[in-house]
Amino acid sequence: MRTTVHMGELAISTTPGDELVALGLGSCIGLAVVDRRAGAAGLAHIVLPEAAGRPGPGTPHKFADHAVPALIDGLVEQGASRVFMQAVLVGGASMFGDGAPGALDVGGRNAAAVRSLVAERRIPVVAEAVGGSRGRTITVDVAGGGVTVREAGGAEQALLAPMEVAA
Amino acid sequence: VSLHYTDLQLDALRELANIGSGKASTALSVLLGRAVDISVPSARALSFADAVDATGDPEAEVTGIVLGTVGELEGTVLLLVSPADAEAICAILGVEPGSGYAPSALAEVGNIVGSSYINALAEMTGMAIEPTPPATATDMLGAIVESVLCAHADASDVALMLDSQLRVEGEDCSIAFMLVPTRDGVDDLLGRLGLA
Repeated sequence: MRTTVHMGELAISTTPGDELVALGLGSCIGLAVVDRRAGAAGLAHIVLPEAAGRPGPGTPHKFADHAVPALIDGLVEQGASRVFMQAVLVGGASMFGDGAPGALDVGGRNAAAVRSLVAERRIPVVAEAVGGSRGRTITVDVAGGGVTVREAGGAEQALLAPMEVAA
Repeated sequence: VSLHYTDLQLDALRELANIGSGKASTALSVLLGRAVDISVPSARALSFADAVDATGDPEAEVTGIVLGTVGELEGTVLLLVSPADAEAICAILGVEPGSGYAPSALAEVGNIVGSSYINALAEMTGMAIEPTPPATATDMLGAIVESVLCAHADASDVALMLDSQLRVEGEDCSIAFMLVPTRDGVDDLLGRLGLA
């Protein structure tokens, strides 16, 4: 099954054949965390760096400081081990360059926040497609733990090769 | 389905959008020298999770032109043009589509159309609102819309989108038009209308 992870959402799966996808990431971050040994994968679609004491009523996972721990804890609950987790970051672009109204670099701040929260939990970031001014789609294949990225008008590129599944 | 807004409030906002897009269509008509029709605007309050999908296929390529609003109403005006429609607009303006001038021509269209919308809004509400200079991007629809929503995401989980279509007669070409005010901005707008 293909699950679309919208803004502020988070999805975790251990079902082989499942695909987690975040379409058209701009300044948001698609954070994929996989434990390929356990066959568990999760994807968070993070909108802003920190809640700053304002946890949103409905979607706390839009904030990196809520989403990152929730994603990792959720994976552990599904049988993943923190020592085998690997992280991939996609997004954090500045779609309108410096010309954007109220040009806050949300994309850059999102990426920095997610990197530091992942590092605090000693999970290696094994691949990134972050920054610049292009939109991106991230796809996570749960069975092999492979992660791909696609830019507008471009082909799908592997960021994390899927694990060979023993026959 | 409204989240936190009453039907009466959404109707009033829709009427504001209607008058604003009327002014915007006149400005576009003068610029292009063609008649321009407007659709009946919609006022939708959507969760972030639904807001991007509501505008279309997140991976579709589109040109987005954004203008910020500053002053008593903070928000973003976003114009969305498909690649084919961007070409048609450039052709009407005598600009080679795909040339270096195309993005500036589209930014100027966005500037004129967006500013007249914002000015109409300012007149109707008596609020001091100024547009900021336009910026453009041609990329995935989702990435463009999401980046606009992000700018307003910290205070609220609801995106209020006032949108309408401007259609150039005889050209089968249209511009989608959207105002995304901040949460405070919506409350201020409703306050001015006596509906807060």
